[in-house]
Amino acid sequence: MLSRLNPLTTLAACGAAATFTVAASNWPVSVAVAVAALGAGVGAGVLRRVLAASAVILLPLWFSLLVLHGLFFPEGRTVLAGWGPARITVEGLAFALEMGTRTTGCVLVLLLFSFVVNVPDLVATMTTRRIPPQFGYVLASTLTLAPAITEQLARIRQAQEARGLVLGGSLVQRLAAARLQMVPLVLALIQDAAERAHALDARGFNSPGPHSTYREVADTRGQRTFRRAVLGLAAAAVILRLSASWFGVPVLPSPLAGNE
Amino acid sequence: MTTPVLDARIESFTFHGETAPAVHGIGLAVQAGTLTSVLGGAGSGKSTLGRLLAGWLRSDGQLRGRLSLSGDGIPNGAQRLDFAGTEDDPRISPAAWSRQVGYVPQDAAAMLSRIRSTVAEELAFGLENRGMDRDNMHRRVADVAAQTGLSPLLDRDPGSLSGGELRRLAIACCVILDPVVLMLDDPLSSLDAEGAELILDLITGLVSKGTAVVHLGQVAGRLFSQATHCLVLDGGSVTAQGMPAEVLLSGGLAESGVVVSSEELHHGHYGPEAAAPEPAYGSPAGANRVSPGARTEASSLSFRNVTYSLPIAQGGQRAVLTEVDLDVGPGQIVAITGPNGAGKSTLLRHVNGLLHPDRGEVLVGGAPIRGKSTGAIAADVGLLFQHPRDQLFERTLLREVGFGLDRLFGAEAEVRAIQALEDVGLANVASAHPHDLPASGQRLLALATVLARQPAVIALDEPTVGLDRHGIARLQTALDTVTLRGAAVLVVTHDLAYARTVSQRVLRLRGGRLHEL
Repeated sequence: MLSRLNPLTTLAACGAAATFTVAASNWPVSVAVAVAALGAGVGAGVLRRVLAASAVILLPLWFSLLVLHGLFFPEGRTVLAGWGPARITVEGLAFALEMGTRTTGCVLVLLLFSFVVNVPDLVATMTTRRIPPQFGYVLASTLTLAPAITEQLARIRQAQEARGLVLGGSLVQRLAAARLQMVPLVLALIQDAAERAHALDARGFNSPGPHSTYREVADTRGQRTFRRAVLGLAAAAVILRLSASWFGVPVLPSPLAGNE
Repeated sequence: MTTPVLDARIESFTFHGETAPAVHGIGLAVQAGTLTSVLGGAGSGKSTLGRLLAGWLRSDGQLRGRLSLSGDGIPNGAQRLDFAGTEDDPRISPAAWSRQVGYVPQDAAAMLSRIRSTVAEELAFGLENRGMDRDNMHRRVADVAAQTGLSPLLDRDPGSLSGGELRRLAIACCVILDPVVLMLDDPLSSLDAEGAELILDLITGLVSKGTAVVHLGQVAGRLFSQATHCLVLDGGSVTAQGMPAEVLLSGGLAESGVVVSSEELHHGHYGPEAAAPEPAYGSPAGANRVSPGARTEASSLSFRNVTYSLPIAQGGQRAVLTEVDLDVGPGQIVAITGPNGAGKSTLLRHVNGLLHPDRGEVLVGGAPIRGKSTGAIAADVGLLFQHPRDQLFERTLLREVGFGLDRLFGAEAEVRAIQALEDVGLANVASAHPHDLPASGQRLLALATVLARQPAVIALDEPTVGLDRHGIARLQTALDTVTLRGAAVLVVTHDLAYARTVSQRVLRLRGGRLHEL
């Protein structure tokens, strides 16, 4: 369903959700957005990929947030436990929760977008709207970077296995195998980029003047209305947030406010 | 005499960091509606010349000389660029230059944008960049796809194409832009008979419509015999030139690494089998080896009822291999040929466990390999990949060949690696980067990585593609050596003549099944 939408609709929805999450700065809202993103991931059949990719980003983030703010939060007053300079405080945990859920919501939404969007459709749509093709190319390359690296890594691994590299075994063996693949991977990606630059140049990618698209991307009045609506809501949330900051009023009451 | 559409006078071109020029003293003037053939062996400079004339090497080295374009579509009717090898030299705009001079490199994959998801979109990429309207684009894509046999593949992912299909796509991507000068580097390599005929017909049609076609290659075959002018390059300079008949008798051609296709030249008939000369393949197959054909008692490699399918769109399956049975005994060479996309490379990847059959069994030395890792199977099986770039990943030739040898030979690993490089004639450049080798050198290096391990079973995927005469001779010597040692060799090739010459048994893969030829 999501991948069949016009890519601008998916982009607008995900962008608005991330913006709204940041503007609200309220952990129940962040959790709701994260749950909605996971639900949409289930619907689109990409939940496993979203979870795997988000784990790489979010696990280290949550760990650092809990260590930094959970144990060393200078403004923390309600001490739950203490070991010398390290103190677990309610305020520190609340801050870590707020930051963690907000980032989790945004990361899940953006990863969901990257896994469901039809990249060729997105690039074609941008070209149709006279956005410089180089911009679309950078966006497409970014969205397809992970698959490109995976593909290149698989190629190197196959070449090495064909010459006797046995993968698996202990963690040390796996790390040793990974070390053998990293330098070839980086060199191959650089070589690949250089080759691609030649091909793109020679095929007129950097030509001035309008570019056209072979691919026709469907759009509907309903989707256009939806995009305007969600972008309007996101803009309103940002304005509300900025106004509240100027006047010192919370946008949404924090469920943890009673503890502060 | 009419003004040439491309007139190049290359005094010298030297890559940055090098002292000797890669090409020097070359004059090339091509007229509209002609076919020019530039031949040379590995490292002769023909691909450098092609890239230079195509504007692909603008910042990679120092050029002295001039390039001139003239004709309809050229601003002011003519354009002349003089290069003195200084910073004030004119800059070639690849986008503008490619409107006149199209170039298909030897490595077809290097032509692709890799940001388009279907063959049709990849074909249209250049037209999109020129702002052509969608209806005209669809018509043009359909026309060129029909001419190059790509019509059934228009919805396929370019990354899923076979080597021959990829070459046709690369040529089509260039032809669709209708350049005044079309330069094709090794356009027929890895094409099956049908694909080669399509491309030859396409070139003939383009020449008759006024395109100046420049063929760069290392095989004096049908394109060479049809050319109106030929050049032979060796060591970066011209060693012979003239009409094909004159060049054929020249010392320059005889001394070069160019493969001369005698059958082709005598009969004027092209088949991929003409892509390599019979004499160059060396000793007739069968000498010193076990009898071919039927299953041997102690096969080194066996396929038993192997069936394999690939997933396709809408959750379907495409049968690639169907109940394949095959035996290769010690010291025996079996060749498998077949059209592009038939699944030859897929079959070969089952030999070392890179792919696993859906049903059936692959046995090496009589033992099933199911459940073993590719790394473990590699102790007995060596695989030459179809594309050397898929096989090479190290920083120097010596490191490349030496990878994994310590596990087999311990302290002798380096000696073995150097010996393998010597066997393929690359020991003198052991510290070079694999990517700096010409295509022929890269394939020989990949071969060295296989030979160095001295496996009991050797699987070779299109081993002759990109090799010049010297390379083919080295390949033959290597095959003679390994079969005398008792290794079983399975060769996959589109080149039927090579298959017949080198092996005792030739099988054809068609419709997922093997048929005796």
